[in-house]
Amino acid sequence: MRIPITGVGAVASIGRDSTEVFTSLCAGRSGLGAMRGFDPSRFTAGRLYEIDDRTGPAPDRTLRATGFLLDAVGQAAAGAGLGEDLSGIPVLVGTGLRELRSAELWWRDSAAFGADRLHFGTALRERFGAADTHTISNACSASLYALALGADLLNLGEADTVIVAGVDSITESMFGLADRVQPTPPTAVRTLDANRQGTILGDGAAAVVLRREDLDWPGGRLWGRLRGVGLTCDAKHPTAPDRDWVAATIRQAHAHAGVSPRDIDLVMLHGTGTPLNDLVEAQAYAEVFGEAASGPVMTGIKSMTGHTSGSSSLLSLVVALQVMATGKVPPILGLTDPIPEADGFRLVRDAEAKHEVSLAEVHGFGFGGINAVAIVEAP
Amino acid sequence: MITVTGVGVALPGAESAEALFAAAGPDGVVDPSAVLGRKGLRYKDRATQIGLSVAQRVLVDAGLLADGELTVDGTRVAVVVSSNLGNVETACRVTKTIAEETSRGLSPMDTPNASSNIISSEVAIRFGLHGPNLMMCNGATSGLDAVRWAATLLRSGRADRAVVVGIEPDNEIVRSLVGERVADGGAAIVLESAEAAAERGATVYAVLGAQTRGPDLAGCLEKVAATETDGPTGWFVPAGLQADSATLAGVARHDLSATWGHLSGALGVVQCAAAIGRFRDGDGGPVYLTSGSDGDDGSAVLVLRSPATEPVPA
Repeated sequence: MRIPITGVGAVASIGRDSTEVFTSLCAGRSGLGAMRGFDPSRFTAGRLYEIDDRTGPAPDRTLRATGFLLDAVGQAAAGAGLGEDLSGIPVLVGTGLRELRSAELWWRDSAAFGADRLHFGTALRERFGAADTHTISNACSASLYALALGADLLNLGEADTVIVAGVDSITESMFGLADRVQPTPPTAVRTLDANRQGTILGDGAAAVVLRREDLDWPGGRLWGRLRGVGLTCDAKHPTAPDRDWVAATIRQAHAHAGVSPRDIDLVMLHGTGTPLNDLVEAQAYAEVFGEAASGPVMTGIKSMTGHTSGSSSLLSLVVALQVMATGKVPPILGLTDPIPEADGFRLVRDAEAKHEVSLAEVHGFGFGGINAVAIVEAP
Repeated sequence: MITVTGVGVALPGAESAEALFAAAGPDGVVDPSAVLGRKGLRYKDRATQIGLSVAQRVLVDAGLLADGELTVDGTRVAVVVSSNLGNVETACRVTKTIAEETSRGLSPMDTPNASSNIISSEVAIRFGLHGPNLMMCNGATSGLDAVRWAATLLRSGRADRAVVVGIEPDNEIVRSLVGERVADGGAAIVLESAEAAAERGATVYAVLGAQTRGPDLAGCLEKVAATETDGPTGWFVPAGLQADSATLAGVARHDLSATWGHLSGALGVVQCAAAIGRFRDGDGGPVYLTSGSDGDDGSAVLVLRSPATEPVPA
C-alpha cells in the first residue's frame, strides 16, 4: 500500500504546531521544565515536559488533553484542505490516558467533569461535527495502532479520508506511581545512553490526514505515503517489553510494506530512556537488521519532548515526514555514552544532521506489550 | 462473512446467553475467582478480573481453549476490549492518596492499572494471544465499535479470530461519576470469518450484518435498513431511549440498561450475547443492536442474524 498523507499537526512542550516542534527539535531545545500542574511537595521528581498552557489561578484545569487533540486535528485538517467540517470523516484517536487527568481533578477537587468527556468523541463532534470517532486507549503505541486501523479502513474501501491522531496529557496517577519507584529521579530522558535513568512524561498531540490511494488528488500537501504498519502483542508481562516480539513487529512492518532492512534510511526510535526499553529496542533492531544495522540514521524525539505516551509514536512519524521534507535530522540530546548494544548504529547526537531520507521506520511500544511499527516513504 | 462462534456472559445472576436474555435483573454479584481460581487475581482491578473471567468463558465456549491450552494459533487471535470506566477508580484513588500521603503512600502494584489498556493486555497475557490488541474507551457506542474493529481486523487479514470483551465495573467512584449503579459485569464473543469457523468445524451462533456509525440514531437505522433484506424482529435499544419513542414501532424492544444498570462500554457486547440468547429462545429474525442516543456524540447500529435464517450458499 501507498496511502497518501496529506496533512499533519503536532503540539508538544517545545512547539504549538508541527513546524515549531520540528524547529525546536533541530535546534536541540528541550521542553523539560519545573513541574506546573502538580504540587511538587508530593513527589521526589520535580521536572516534566509539560505544555505551558495553564492560565488560571488554579495549578491545573480539566480537558487539557482534549484541547491539544483539537489543535492537532485542526492543523492537520486545515493543511489537507478539509477545513473545520469533518462530518462523515472517521477520526481515530490513540491515547494512553484519555481524559483521566480530568477525572482525577473531578474526584480530588470536585472540578466539573462528566463521563461523556473521558473519551474524545464529544469534543470532536462539537468542534468538527465528526460522528465516527474512536478513542483507542492503547498505551504508548496507541497512535500507531490507530494509524494501522485507519489504513485498514481505507484499504477496505470503508472510507475515502481518515484522520488519525494521538494525544496525552500527563496524569498524576501515572506520574505518581513512577515517582514512587524512582528514589533518584532521572534528570532528563537520555535515549540509549549507558547512564540513562528512566523516562520522564510529557504532554503532546499529533495528527495526520490519510487518503485512499486510488482517489484523485484532493488538495493539501503530499507529505509522504504510509507503506505499512505491523501490530503485535507480547502477551508476556504488563509493563516489561519483550525482545522477540519487538523484533517480530519490525519484521511484520517490513513484510506489510514489502521492504527489507537495507531499504530503510531513517529509524525513529521509541527510545523512552528506561533501562529496559532502550536495551530491548536496540537488541531487536540489531537482530532484524543484521549487517544492515549501520545503514539508517537513527534518532528519537523524547530527549526533547519527553515521553508523550499515546501520542509519541505518531509525533515521531510526523517528525519523520518533516525530515523527508527538509533533509534535516534532529539529534538525541544527552547521548554521550551509547550502550554497547548500539555499537555501529548511526545515531544522531548533539546537533542536527543532514540526510536524505526516502524510507523511514517508526517505532511505538506500550505497556501490556503492545507493539506497533510503521513504514513511511517520502513523496 | 463474519460469524460469531463463541459467547460468554458474566453478569450478576447470569452466566449464559440464555440466562442473560431471560433475566429480569441482577441477582447477586459476579465472582471472577469462581471461574479463574484465586491465583494471580490479587492486584488486578475489578474490571480486569471480570474481563479475564468472561474471556476464559468465551474461549472455552468457542472451543479455542481446552484443558487450559489454545487449540488454534495464538499469534492469529486478536483481542478487542471495550470499557469506559475500567481504570477510572485507580486513577482517582491514587491521586487522592498522593494529596493525602505524597507518592510514598502509593503501592507500586497499582502501576499497570494506571494504563487504561490493562484489561486487554491481561487477556492477551493470560491466554497467550499475540494478535493485534485493542482497548476501546469510546463512550456510549464503545461496545459496538469494538465489534466493528474486531471485524475490521479479520477483514484486513491481521487476524483469523478475535475475542471481543465488554466490561464495566461498579465502585463508589464510577457510580458517582455516572450517577447510577454500574452493571459490574460484562460479556464476550468470538468473531471468526465463515472460512475460519468452517475450517475447524465451529458452531456458528450468529452472523454479522450491516453496521454503521453516524450522528443520529434515526439516520443510522435508515442506513442499515437500506442494505438489509429483512426487517428486524427484535431491537436492542440504546441506554436512555424514551419508552414512547415511535422508532421501529411494532418491533420487540429489549432495554438491557434498564435491566442491568449502567452498561456504558459493555452495552454493545452484552447486546450481542443477549441476541444469541434470543435466537436460542426461538425467534430467528434479524435483530438490530443500537447504542448512543441523540444526546451522545454518535450512534451505532449492528445487525445480527441467526445462522438458521442465512441463505444456504449455492
